[in-house]
Amino acid sequence: MIEDSMAQYSSQTDDELLFRLRNGDEHAFVALYRRRQGAIYRFAMHMSGSPASAEDITQEVFLALLRQECGYDRERGTLSGYLFGIARKLVLRGLERGRADVPLEVDTDEVAPRELAVIDDPLAGLTRREAIEALRRAVQALPRRYREVVVLCDLEELDYADAAVVLGCPIGTVRSRMHRARALLLEKLNQDRKPRLAVDAWKPMRYAI
Amino acid sequence: MNCQEFWNNPPQRGDNLGEEQTAHLAECGACAAQFEPHRALAKGLQSWVEEWRQLEAPPRVEAGLTAAFRSQTGFHVRRAVRHSWWTPVIAWASAAAAMIALAALLVRGYQPASPRPGTVAAPRHISQPVVEVATLPPADADSDDDSSVLGDGFVRLPNAPRIEPNEDFNVVRVEVPGSAMIAMGVPVSEDRAAETVLADVALGSDGTARAIRLIGDGGTF
Repeated sequence: MIEDSMAQYSSQTDDELLFRLRNGDEHAFVALYRRRQGAIYRFAMHMSGSPASAEDITQEVFLALLRQECGYDRERGTLSGYLFGIARKLVLRGLERGRADVPLEVDTDEVAPRELAVIDDPLAGLTRREAIEALRRAVQALPRRYREVVVLCDLEELDYADAAVVLGCPIGTVRSRMHRARALLLEKLNQDRKPRLAVDAWKPMRYAI
Repeated sequence: MNCQEFWNNPPQRGDNLGEEQTAHLAECGACAAQFEPHRALAKGLQSWVEEWRQLEAPPRVEAGLTAAFRSQTGFHVRRAVRHSWWTPVIAWASAAAAMIALAALLVRGYQPASPRPGTVAAPRHISQPVVEVATLPPADADSDDDSSVLGDGFVRLPNAPRIEPNEDFNVVRVEVPGSAMIAMGVPVSEDRAAETVLADVALGSDGTARAIRLIGDGGTF
């Protein structure tokens, strides 16, 4: 019966569900939560690298939505963007608290891009799972401001305009950070691949004499 | 599209090229080679997205939030119920209290100040101005010293204007010190000079006092 109610709500927009939950409709709240929680949880997971933190952040995000002083304004962006914005603030707060435990990030746009050694496919030769793990490590190693654009645009598939709203910056800044982030990712993946190639080079080889 | 334009506007998704970008890569081998790692990166990221697409928060998060929603909704309902009872009551009570306070202030402000003890020097008005048309007999200019005594026991006040024939008078009852009555020539005994006595004052049509009479035993004390 509850699932039938959920199906009824699935066709409604986020704003309609928000209106209903403001009027005490629990099913609307559950429908909205189920629609948006995955992306928020994954974003928090990508950014914090911790399932426990991601769980806490997801809970806090939707609790904030329940509060009457929730500052969502549909004129300023989508509800999804608003939820990502709250999650981002919570992530940043968590990162600030744990700053002593993590290495300082090179967090500036002024870093000159280094020349990349061109490798056609930095993930070549890896299984799907190995490739994803390599990518996960590379994304985690990115400075925070590049990591968040990769997570929002590449992993959660927001367009640049929505990401700009979440990050509170111009769309051009999102585009330039994205470009820089991809370059850094390729560099990191290449660095990880070089030792592997070096080890491969030590393998015994047969020479035809 | 040239090489500069291609790299200034990279595709939002690494593997989602527009027509112009695809055309440029087809004709520019250098850009195609340089773009190949980006294409591979996009492919790897897409694999990651698909792998994690089903990743969600644990069910206990939903359970906790639903409980919070229920408790919060109940809280708001209770508050709304309390509001529906108390808000109008408090508002009306406050308004009524304010009105009473304002009314009391205004009434007190318009009350005549009570005379200080021992300073009763002027006649005190003790009744509503009675418009009593008294037809006092005009004083006879040819009469002798009793000409100050008018009809109905009124005594003409010293230096008062002459009373014209058929002039209308208003009579006002007041309290005046006995000593003042003596000074006006009204017969009041000496031992009651310190007391206040009741008297009627005849006011002319111009509002000035013309005559006075004692209220008491035959007009004398």
